[in-house]
Amino acid sequence: MRASVNRPPTPDVGDTQEKQPTLEEIINIKFIESGEKERLMELLRERLIECGWKDEMKALCRAFVKKKGRNNVTVDDLVHLITPKGRASIPDSIKAELLQRIRTFLVSAAL
Amino acid sequence: MTTGNPSYTNPKPCKHLADYKLNHGLSGYKSLQKHLKTAPHGKTSVGKPSTKTPRCISCDGFQGRLYFCLICSSVSCLDHNLLHTQSEVGHDVAVDIERAELYCCVCCDQVYDPDFDKAVMSKHIMGITGDKNGDESIGKRLVKRRRLGSGVVEELVDSKISKQLISMRDRRAKSCYPLGLRGLNNLGNTCFMNSVLQALLHAPPFRNYFLSGGHNHETCRKRSVDQLCLSCDIDVVFSAAFSGDRAPYSPAQFLYSWWQHSANLASYEQKDAHEFFISVLDGIHEKEVKSRNQNRDNGDCQCIAHGVFSGLLRSDVTCMTCGFTSTTFDPCVDISLDLDTSNFPPKNTANKSIKPDANSSMSTLLGCLDLFTRQEKLGSDSKLYCQNCQERQDSAKQMSIKRLPLVLCLHIKRFEHSPVTKMSRKIDRYLQFPLSLDMTPYLSSSVVRNRFGNRIFAFESGESDISAEFEIFAAVTHAGTLESGHYVNFLRLRNQWYKCDDAWINEVDEGMVRASQCYMMFYVQKSLYQKANEDWSHLPISPRRNMFGQ
Repeated sequence: MRASVNRPPTPDVGDTQEKQPTLEEIINIKFIESGEKERLMELLRERLIECGWKDEMKALCRAFVKKKGRNNVTVDDLVHLITPKGRASIPDSIKAELLQRIRTFLVSAAL
Repeated sequence: MTTGNPSYTNPKPCKHLADYKLNHGLSGYKSLQKHLKTAPHGKTSVGKPSTKTPRCISCDGFQGRLYFCLICSSVSCLDHNLLHTQSEVGHDVAVDIERAELYCCVCCDQVYDPDFDKAVMSKHIMGITGDKNGDESIGKRLVKRRRLGSGVVEELVDSKISKQLISMRDRRAKSCYPLGLRGLNNLGNTCFMNSVLQALLHAPPFRNYFLSGGHNHETCRKRSVDQLCLSCDIDVVFSAAFSGDRAPYSPAQFLYSWWQHSANLASYEQKDAHEFFISVLDGIHEKEVKSRNQNRDNGDCQCIAHGVFSGLLRSDVTCMTCGFTSTTFDPCVDISLDLDTSNFPPKNTANKSIKPDANSSMSTLLGCLDLFTRQEKLGSDSKLYCQNCQERQDSAKQMSIKRLPLVLCLHIKRFEHSPVTKMSRKIDRYLQFPLSLDMTPYLSSSVVRNRFGNRIFAFESGESDISAEFEIFAAVTHAGTLESGHYVNFLRLRNQWYKCDDAWINEVDEGMVRASQCYMMFYVQKSLYQKANEDWSHLPISPRRNMFGQ
């Protein structure tokens, strides 16, 4: 057997641990650490309850549990069930409001 | 009715949680308690003071759900928590950081432990500094037991005696019509009165009281003091309605009596049925209070009006800064509900969505009740004084029902007043309602429990002496506009619907009731509804002087 000479170099142990944080990650961390994410989550929760989205998701989960039986459902099942439907049914007004808040934050954070 | 709702009994722990508890007991919960962060509106999360953003030990990710191992405190994300249990045997139980919920990594599901929830709730209670009464607002409460006058809501007639009497059938009218069904003549825009009277005539405990001679004319001391007694006049109406005579009755004496009581409403103009209902109950109560020379508040009142209709509402005002909650209890004879106007259209039976239409979309009674018990953030312009913070703070208010009445009157607020145009208008939204209503989710225990994330903890006690299952027996509906409209009552007796339009009574099907706009819905406790439907066929019709005349 011949060893291939065009094998890429063995990566150093040090290299695999560090990754260059992407811009997205940096912003995200800043977002969390300043507490802004917490505030926006609160606002989002409030808006989603007001417009009935939470009740709608609750009804979906209830129907699913009824169909499958109470003891045959895990939290993970429910999360996988409602995540796509939930994401799709968020009213545009809420999206717009949150985007506006995020933009404002980014502007202030960049300074 | 069993005490408590079965769905709130403690779920069985999985094998892994049971093993964890055997090996580690409560030590893990106690040390976690230090890191629990409580939010004023009831949410709990795990806040580690050391690192600001928790990251998964396997993939360094910080998005999505993260779990904190109860044994070694390492953090894993959803994809990698199974890895953790594989590398460290026995490290199965973790805590969802954002939600403070137990999670079993092997079963891949949330698990529940009363001891854990107790630790969480203790943090909430302790977290409010200087709150000596914190335990009371969330923990157990001593509840004064309601004392009803003996025999008020029991069977009205000794069934042994009634069976010995010969029962005569009224051959003039349809013999299959239930007893007590009799039209009421409109005396000049009095449809509001007729509709409510019909509901009162057929409210089982109210009816039983009057028909069993609960209010005795002779002993009614009012006759000597002043000639007016609303209860005496109601008694006359009851006798007339249940006499067996099916010809429409004119409740003129009652109307006159009521005018005397509510002088400001005495006219032939159209009135509001709900206003009438409140004033009648008030009239009955006042005479009772005067006659017995008592000054009891509505909550403990023994008069028939309150005994049947009075419940207790709980109002929690929570400071959004420190979480201190101040609780007050108010008696009520009915619950006024705003129509729920969610943006999400209900699905009809064919499973297709109905397009929401501005003025005529569907609301549901359960949706209205949800809205009533939802925590409402009070605006920044109405900051309330918080005892704990010693200053005005943003607050949130939440209503719930501490004690249910025997007969629940739900008033749907269909009249909207616009402060801008200074005009009122009627909201013509159809309301979907159930025939059988379970009020458990709207009780204080359920609502307060929900606020903290459905923790297994004794939030309220003493509620279970009255059942939460109700059946509808009357619906007062309104057609038309604010200025000119008409009230019609639908009665549900022995599971058959009857339309009571002033003097005209017809058997109708459920569809007709659902197509109308309900304004006041009367629900009675299920056991009383079933009792009322059973025994009437045995009771005799009182012999009348002239069978064929008026």
